Amino acid sequence: MHSTPQQREGRLLLAPLVAFLIVFLSFPALVDIVYALSDVTFQTMRAPQIVGFRNFGVVLADPEFWAACWFSLRFGVLTAIIECGLGLALAIFLSPIVSRHGWTLALIMLPMMVAPSMVGLMYRLVLHEFAGPLPHYLTLWFGTSPAFLDANNAFWTLVVVEVLQWTPFAFLLFHVAYISIPAEIREAAAMDRATAWKILWRIELPMMKATIAIALGIRFIDGFRVFDNVFGLTGAGAGGSTMSLSIYIYQSFFKGGQIGQAVAASVLMFLASLVVLYGAAVLKAQLDRRRMAA
Amino acid sequence: MNALRWIVFAVAAFAMNFPVIVTLITSFKSAKEIAMNPGLIIQAPTLANYARVLTDTSRFNIYAYLLNSTVAALIGSLLALLLTLPAAYAIVRTGTGRRHLLPLVANLRAVPLVVFAIPLYMMFQFVGLLDTRLGLGLILTIVNLPLSLMMMVNAISDMPTEIDEAARMDRAGAFVILRRIVRPVIRPAVVTAFIFGFITAWNEYLFGLMLTTRNAVPVTVGASFFFSASGGGVQWGVASAVMILGALPPAVLGMLIYRQLTGSMTAGAVKG
Repeated sequence: MHSTPQQREGRLLLAPLVAFLIVFLSFPALVDIVYALSDVTFQTMRAPQIVGFRNFGVVLADPEFWAACWFSLRFGVLTAIIECGLGLALAIFLSPIVSRHGWTLALIMLPMMVAPSMVGLMYRLVLHEFAGPLPHYLTLWFGTSPAFLDANNAFWTLVVVEVLQWTPFAFLLFHVAYISIPAEIREAAAMDRATAWKILWRIELPMMKATIAIALGIRFIDGFRVFDNVFGLTGAGAGGSTMSLSIYIYQSFFKGGQIGQAVAASVLMFLASLVVLYGAAVLKAQLDRRRMAA
Repeated sequence: MNALRWIVFAVAAFAMNFPVIVTLITSFKSAKEIAMNPGLIIQAPTLANYARVLTDTSRFNIYAYLLNSTVAALIGSLLALLLTLPAAYAIVRTGTGRRHLLPLVANLRAVPLVVFAIPLYMMFQFVGLLDTRLGLGLILTIVNLPLSLMMMVNAISDMPTEIDEAARMDRAGAFVILRRIVRPVIRPAVVTAFIFGFITAWNEYLFGLMLTTRNAVPVTVGASFFFSASGGGVQWGVASAVMILGALPPAVLGMLIYRQLTGSMTAGAVKG
């Protein structure tokens, strides 16, 4: 091997990170593969019996697994779209006051600093039928308050909870992208007597396209793998109606002790996230190519 | 038009912060008042809930939870920096690892955490790291690696090459250059990455739930104990006080550096 001193130095500097990754990623990956193919319980953890793809069959035949997949997919798509739509509208509309008064940004970012699991717990209080302010005021003003956490409403309650905590993230990305559009571009368009709407649709939004795609991607991933706030607020909840894929895996592992099936499900979830990442990479390559061409 | 903007801002900020506001208000109400007055105006503010949480530690020890969170989050944020700072320097200046290692680590952010949780549970049980602060801290390091690496790569890319080239001419070793020259120059980015990592680690829940049971329970998990236990329903005032105490450290840190966070969070997201 011919390597320059520089390359050798580079490898030396990378060594600690690589070593850490080998221990904490490749070993778990190995365990995952073995256990996914094994019949294993907490008692037989050190002596798993290889049984082939049976666990995957059991998982794929489990209606609860598919219900959890559907929950996570719907939750991820809906929250990503609502958060980005709301975040974009707010970022553009509030831009004049947020860029002039920095402290406003602090108030908008505050929800992101609170642990999602605790936000889930906080909503138990907010929505509680006796101690919660929201049912209290709704009853006071309208004479009635919906059952926020019953089987029909729990999904939408959780969507609102997630959206209220993470719209700030989308807002932040869009705020930065919006204020970094050069002023000359807007001035030039204004000289051509373009209306504010036209500038927004024809110039500003197209310039923010990449950021919008990234924000949608990040928010979808975080919504798809949701665990903390759902688990804090409803657990699997209302007859399993709020069981996300992460909660399904957690429960089959701890409550059921069906380790092989839990691991098989988590391998499937990992593959799903690879598909999303691959899609994102393809999309990014396309955008880059178009930018090069332009 | 600006008046309308201020109204929209106020409504949005109020709605987004609503759970925190409600919890803060409830933490200053007596049990009796919570039962009679669930509204947002406190009639007789009291510190009794905080006094109770901080003095009655016989069943749930809030100090232990806070200490566990602090130690694990410190390990998780500092170790992530120790690993990613040299790696980022190598990636930017020598190009080694740019093609495979950088995207691999950056994409870790997108992998659902629960995928790691089960095999790490097995591994930790085997080596005796289950239910220890060190074990929790090591896992929080994994959580922090992607953004930490992105932030370090961005910071070192922005650093003029002349600065460390002169030192290399003098045949200074890489680790000396890192410590004496690179770290001081990108100090603001290092501090931001550290604080952001600390906040992320402090707020993590899933690993705390799965990998700790008694000795290393972090405050995110400990807070939920106050909801599930005790006959006669939840003591909302006490539970609220616990949540405010548990949410305060990351909130204060975040508010101290929110301007820097704006820049680095978006840089990490957009370039990743």
